[in-house]
Amino acid sequence: MIYRFDWSVLWSGQSGIWLLQGLVTTLEMSVLAWLLAFTLGIASGVLRTALIPPLRWISTFYVEFFRNVPLLVWMFFWYFAIPPLLPESLRNWLFDHGVEFWAGFFALGVYHGARFSEVIRSGIQSVPKTQFEAAVSTGLTVAQAYRLIIVPVALRLIIPPATNESLNLLKNSSVALTIGVAELTFQTRQIETYTAKAFEALTAGTLIYLILCLTIAAIMARVEQRVAIPGMIAQGRAGEF
Amino acid sequence: MDTGVILNNLNFLIVQGFIGLGAFAGGTLRLAIPAIILGFILGVFIGLCRLARSSWVKIPATVYVEFFRGVPLVMVIFWFWFIIPVFLGKSLPEYSVALAAFVIFEAAYLSEIVRAGIQSVPHGQVEAATATGLTHVQTMRYVILPQALRNMIPALVTQFIVLLKDTSLASIIGYVDLTKAAQIVNNREIRPFELYLFIAVIYWLCSYGMSRYARSLERRFAQSAA
Amino acid sequence: MRRLVFWAAVICAMTFSAVGSWAETTLEKIDRTGTLTIGTRTGSPPFAYVNKNNDWVGFSIDLVEKTILPVISRKLNKQIKLDKKESAPPTRIPLLTSNAVDLIAETMTDTQTRRDSVDFSLTFFVTGAQFLVKKGNPISFDLRHKSIQSLAGKRIAAQQGSTNARIIRERVPSAKLLEFPDQPAAFQALVQGQAQAYTNDGIQLAGLKAKAPKPEDWLVVGEFYSYEPYGMAMKKNDSDFRQAVNIGLMEAIESGKYFELYDKWFGPKGEVPYPLAPDTKRFLQMQVVPK
Repeated sequence: MIYRFDWSVLWSGQSGIWLLQGLVTTLEMSVLAWLLAFTLGIASGVLRTALIPPLRWISTFYVEFFRNVPLLVWMFFWYFAIPPLLPESLRNWLFDHGVEFWAGFFALGVYHGARFSEVIRSGIQSVPKTQFEAAVSTGLTVAQAYRLIIVPVALRLIIPPATNESLNLLKNSSVALTIGVAELTFQTRQIETYTAKAFEALTAGTLIYLILCLTIAAIMARVEQRVAIPGMIAQGRAGEF
Repeated sequence: MDTGVILNNLNFLIVQGFIGLGAFAGGTLRLAIPAIILGFILGVFIGLCRLARSSWVKIPATVYVEFFRGVPLVMVIFWFWFIIPVFLGKSLPEYSVALAAFVIFEAAYLSEIVRAGIQSVPHGQVEAATATGLTHVQTMRYVILPQALRNMIPALVTQFIVLLKDTSLASIIGYVDLTKAAQIVNNREIRPFELYLFIAVIYWLCSYGMSRYARSLERRFAQSAA
Repeated sequence: MRRLVFWAAVICAMTFSAVGSWAETTLEKIDRTGTLTIGTRTGSPPFAYVNKNNDWVGFSIDLVEKTILPVISRKLNKQIKLDKKESAPPTRIPLLTSNAVDLIAETMTDTQTRRDSVDFSLTFFVTGAQFLVKKGNPISFDLRHKSIQSLAGKRIAAQQGSTNARIIRERVPSAKLLEFPDQPAAFQALVQGQAQAYTNDGIQLAGLKAKAPKPEDWLVVGEFYSYEPYGMAMKKNDSDFRQAVNIGLMEAIESGKYFELYDKWFGPKGEVPYPLAPDTKRFLQMQVVPK
């Protein structure tokens, strides 16, 4: 069977709008999930280096529990298994406001929070211990030392692996299509369904992801140069799986 | 909490879904193990290409790696699922599609590990090898690669864990892996909590187990290299 | 650098032109590979689903295996194997046009719009669209006594790409249509309360209800709001293959094999009892043209 190329399906009819809507949904979910992941990641990364063992255990448990299970399984779990267990008012609110989006956001954020935690932990551990000792000796409490000295330095050190993880988060947002989130990859399939032009639809989707990823990587490389602390460009260990 | 649904379908979930023996084309292990082996071979090739001196070899390899690291695996799976049969003129079993997609995708990531491994071998080794009269290819084969491989092994095991988790995405095209097997049972019995928790535990055991192994390997190599 | 781009372009052009130059009919492909690949469902009882023994069975699958496959084997003079791949409304036409499957044998409605993209066999089942609701939900009363316009503002589940989704979108635009990739996902949304009603063809709803963990909780309600004749879909302009499929179906109806299979799945002792209306039986028989 001869495959007839027809690139006009991308902008005629609904396809262009669907692609745009998909892109917006992808970005919305990714940004929100990133905020959640980053918050959880910092909290967990810091706790992992805490001096009190129980705090370390909480964070270790969080990291090991969530990152060793595939994201797809988490998506199914949060979307199918959890809503029936929620209180009725929350459940109805979710059902009226796109429960699949919230399940996807939560799965993505919590999973990547565990991965961010490892990246941030390696960053914190790359900061020379002398910095911590000096901070405490000038009268700062442990919390203040972390907040004002350690974490800001650590964050600068880990820009490459953190960018890598952030891009992973963006790409993993595509997994949400399995629970019905109308993100970019879902929309490329929608276009295929209605126009049967698989090649064109897939090319459009792929190009958009590529442009997003390469742009973000380039911007972060610039940022890293700008905020680098002279004499401290350590190789933050690339985030583990 | 109804564990009956798991016990009744345990055979299907583990033997068909996880291992891959049964009436359906499937199996997490049946996909993951060949994928890591073939992906590694391709990854070594691409990694070496990236370190080549000739731009003709280096640039396509770099484009390959940057491309596959910039697109989601889900998208790559769809490409292979829809486009390959058109080009080849016949329908491919889901296994071949999934395997091809995983090998090509993971090779991009594995090639980076290979490249880092090779670059971590001290340059003095290359110089010494050349001084004793070995050609470039012989140096690679007998001096660099063996040492590089030893350095790479912890990172390779880590990537294998990633691959094992990624195989769950093959369920999207109907490949009956552990995730799809749970979906099939859930579609009939409607017990998502028990079923998805069960497969989460299975994945967790494999993944955590292997990550402990990777860490012990790392410690062992760090000791012996000292 | 420019030479690199030039050669890359040449290689791409050659690859793409190679795509256009190959054209093989479906029967030739089946002859070559020795396999008939069908796209069918895994969660649409009793047409195509995975039963309690985790076997992939169903009425549509039986029709292909027991009535169409023998005809193709006879025609090609060799024993042809059957291979099943999962398909669903959003994926079935792409699977067909990309050659991943030769025939869609599931629960696909024959429509004029779809005939623009694919060809259909004879009609092998007749039904209409209805709704599945939870017993006790006030929506069931509305659907039984008022028109489908009473669904305005309600959350209705349907399969992405189905005729039902399209009709609801056109006729009750104010309803909140939730589209799912396949029937099990839509049913789970109904079970959890995310959707208040699920619309699909009546027979499929009956099958879903019969196979649900607690069938008494569900009601199939509403008048048929559409006419849904099921056909098997195949690539356009492939008359030899279509002829083979149709001959298979016609021989089955004439010899009674079709009704035997119908009885197995839809008879009083079948998986989903659904008596064959005399009108429908007559319609099926009249599709059989003389030799």
